[in-house]
Amino acid sequence: MTFLQGSMDKLAHRWLAALALALALAAVLPLRAQAQDNTGPVYDDILQGFADSERWLTYSGDYSGKRHSPLTQINADNIKSLRPEWTFQTGTTTRGRGFETTPLVDAGVLYVTGSNNYAWAIDARTGRAFWQYRRNLPSDLTYGASAPVNRGFGMLGNSLFMVTLDAHLLSFDRRSGDILWDVVLADYRQGYAATLAPLVLDNKVIVGISGGEYATRGFIDAYDPTTGDRLWRFNTIPGPGEPGSETWPDDPEVLARGGGGTWMNGSYDPELNLIYWGVGNPNPDYYGDLRPGDNLYTNSIVALDADSGELRWHYQFTPHDLNDWDSNHIPVLADIEWEGSLRRVVMLANRNGFFYVMDRVSGELLLGTPFTATTWAREIGADGRPIVLNDGSKGCLPDPWGSTNFMPPSYYPELGLFYVTARETCATYVPEEPTLVPGQSSFGGVVFIDSEKGSGALRALDVQTGDLRWEFTYPSPTFGGVLTTAAGLVFAGDHEGNFMAFDAVSGENLWHYQTGSRIWGAAAMTYMLDGRQYVLIPSGTTLTAFALPVR
Amino acid sequence: MKKYSKAMLSLVRSVTWLFSITAVMCVSSVQAQQINPLESDPRAARAGGVLFRSQCATCHGGDAKGITGIDAPDLTSIWAAEGTTDERVFQTIRNGVPGSIMPAHGFTDPETWMLVSYLRSVAATGATEFSGDAVRGSSLFLSNCSRCHRVKGEGGSLGPDLSQITSRRSAAALINSVREPSAVIARRYYPVSVVFEDPGAGDGGRRQRVQGTLKSEDAFSIQMMDTNQQLRAFMKADLLEFLRESESLMPAFSRTDLSSAELEDILTFLQSQL
Repeated sequence: MTFLQGSMDKLAHRWLAALALALALAAVLPLRAQAQDNTGPVYDDILQGFADSERWLTYSGDYSGKRHSPLTQINADNIKSLRPEWTFQTGTTTRGRGFETTPLVDAGVLYVTGSNNYAWAIDARTGRAFWQYRRNLPSDLTYGASAPVNRGFGMLGNSLFMVTLDAHLLSFDRRSGDILWDVVLADYRQGYAATLAPLVLDNKVIVGISGGEYATRGFIDAYDPTTGDRLWRFNTIPGPGEPGSETWPDDPEVLARGGGGTWMNGSYDPELNLIYWGVGNPNPDYYGDLRPGDNLYTNSIVALDADSGELRWHYQFTPHDLNDWDSNHIPVLADIEWEGSLRRVVMLANRNGFFYVMDRVSGELLLGTPFTATTWAREIGADGRPIVLNDGSKGCLPDPWGSTNFMPPSYYPELGLFYVTARETCATYVPEEPTLVPGQSSFGGVVFIDSEKGSGALRALDVQTGDLRWEFTYPSPTFGGVLTTAAGLVFAGDHEGNFMAFDAVSGENLWHYQTGSRIWGAAAMTYMLDGRQYVLIPSGTTLTAFALPVR
Repeated sequence: MKKYSKAMLSLVRSVTWLFSITAVMCVSSVQAQQINPLESDPRAARAGGVLFRSQCATCHGGDAKGITGIDAPDLTSIWAAEGTTDERVFQTIRNGVPGSIMPAHGFTDPETWMLVSYLRSVAATGATEFSGDAVRGSSLFLSNCSRCHRVKGEGGSLGPDLSQITSRRSAAALINSVREPSAVIARRYYPVSVVFEDPGAGDGGRRQRVQGTLKSEDAFSIQMMDTNQQLRAFMKADLLEFLRESESLMPAFSRTDLSSAELEDILTFLQSQL
C-alpha cells in the first residue's frame, strides 16, 4: 500500500506537474506569440523609414520629410483603374477644418487623429474602427477653438503620442486607446494650443506649440516617451540678455509675448543628431511698432541638438514679419550634388513666396529664389536678407495664409524636383494697434483679401536653381499637400476636393477623383497590405483609401 | 515702450467702460434678452468693430463681407434675411454654427452685444425711400427684368433674386447695376461661354456655343446655368473653348432704354414687395 500509495502520489504529482506545465504553456505561449507580434516599432524601425513597405511610422513616412515612397505597384500605366477601396467618416458633427492628419500604419492597423481631438485605430483593410478616442475639451479653448485640428500621431512601441487643443501631450496604449500619461505643455487659457504630429526619436518625443496670434511665447519641447517627463525646452523667443534678445525691444514683457509658435513638426538628421524646426510669426502679427527689430527666432528655421535642445544655427526668412508669414513648414532633408560636391541640405518653400536651399550642417544659404509672383521681394541680398521691394504700399502682397503653408511638399531625389502647392493671392494689410488681453488674439490689424485675384498651383521646382519645371493650376488658392512615389507619380489634393495623380517628369495629369470636400493641410500616405498598394487621402471629415482592383 | 503704455492705457479705459456696461446689463438682464441693451450707445459699434477685426476678420474679412474659399458668409447682408434679430445674431456668436467652421465663442454678454452693434452698423441697407409709381414699376419689371430676376417667387433665375434687394443695396448701387451691370458682377453670376462639339448633332458632330453664369468650377469641370436657365455641366477636357466673359449677361439699360423715372418706378415696386 505504501508503495502503491507512493507511486500513486508520484503519478498524481507527475500528472499535476504536467498539467501545471501545460497550463503554464497555454497561458504563456500565446502571450509570447502575441507580444512578439505586437510590441510595435522601435526607434531603429522609424530610422529605417520606408524599408518595411507595410509600415508608415512617422508623419512624413521617414525623418527626412521628403514624403517620397519607394512603392511602385500603382504606376502611370495602371493608375486609370485606381479606385476607392473604402471610406472612413468621423461620424461627428465636427466644427472646424476637418482632417489634416497623416495616418500611421503598422501591422494592418491605421492610427488616425481627427479634429477636436478625436482619434481612432482603424482596420487598414476595411476602414472599420477598433476604438475611438474623444477628449473632453474645456469650453473656453483659445487658439484651439479657432483651428480645432490635429496633424497626427507619433508612435513608439505600443505607445502613441498626440497633442491636444488644450495644449497637453498624451500617451496612448495603441491597442486599447487608453491614456498612459497626460502632461501639460502650456496654459491654454493664455492662447496656447497644440496641433502637430509629435516627432518620436530614440527615447524622446519632440513637440511644438501653437498660439502665435496670442500674447504667447513659443517653444520646442522634448519628453520622455515612458514617463512623460520633460527632458528639455527650447524657447523660440530669447529671454532678456540671451542671444537674439538684441533683435527685440529691451523689455521683458515684449519678449514674454513675442509669439514664435512651433506648430508644425520638424525633421531629423540622425547622423548630425540635429532636429530642424520652423518658427512662426511674432505677435502682434500685423502691427510691428510694439516690437522693433528682427524679432528672432520668429519666421526662422532652427537647428537644435536633439539631446540638449541647444541651438546650433538658425536662418530667418522674414525679418520683422508684418504679414503673419509663419515659417512652419516641413523641412525637407536631402543629400544633393551642389556645385560639384555632395551637400547635406535642408530645403523648404516658404510662406513669404521664396524657395530656399540651405546647408544643414552649417546653415549656409545656398539658394533663395521666388517660386510665386510675389512682389514683396524678388531676391535675397548678399547679407542673406530679403531685399524688400514692396512692404504693401505698392499694391497687394501674398495673403496671411501665404504663398504656401504647412501642407507637406515632396522631394523626388532621382529627379531633383521639389513639388509644392503654391498660392497666388492679393491682400492689403491695415495694421492697427491691438489691445493686449491674455487669452484673446492680437493680430494687430485687418487684412483685405481680393478673392478675384486668387489662384493655386502644383509646382515642380528644380532644386538646383528653383526654376519652375512644370505646373498644374487650380481655380483657387489651395491647401492640399503632396506625396511622390518611386513609380514616377505625384499625388496632390486641391481646394475643390480633387485628389489627383501626375506624371512627375512631365506634369501630365493622369488621374483624378472628386472626394467631395476640400483637401486642406493634408497630404496622401501609402502602404502595402496583402500585396496591394493603398493610397490614403484625408478630405473634409472623410478618409478615403484607394487601391487597384484585385485581378 | 511708449506705445505699449498707450496700449495698456486704452486697455484700462475699455475695461473701465466695460464695467459700467456690465452694471447696466445686470439691471436689464431681468428682462428677456431680445433687444440689444447697447443699441443706443454709439461706442458699442466702435468697440465691437475692434473686437470684430481681432477675433472675426480672419474668416469673415476685415470688411465683414466674407472671404471666398472660407465658408464664412458676408455678414453685411444677414439682416435682410427673414427672421434675423439681434437676439439670433447674439446666439449665433455665442453658440457657433454646429457642423460648420464657426465655433462657439466665450465673449462676455456685453462683448457679444458690441459685436451685434457693430454688425448692425455695417449692415448693407438701402434706407432710401423711392417715390415712383409701384404699379407702373410692376409692369415695367415684368417686361424688362422678370425673365431673369425673381421677386417673391415669381420670375427667372439667371440673375439674382431681387426680393430683398432694396433693403441691402443703396439707391446709387442699384441704379448703377442697372445702367452698368458689368461694372460689378455678383459671385455665382460670372458670365462664361463654352464651345464644344455636340456628338449627337449628326455626322462628325456640330460645334455648339453655350452661354451662361458660372456656378462652380474645379480643375476638371465647370457647373453653370445657361441662358435658357438650365443647369449644365461640362468636363474641361471636352471643351474646345472656355471663356470668362467680362460683359454681364444682363443688358445695360441706358436712359433711352429706361428713363430715370421708369427706373424709379421699378425700384419703388421692388420696395413695395418687401
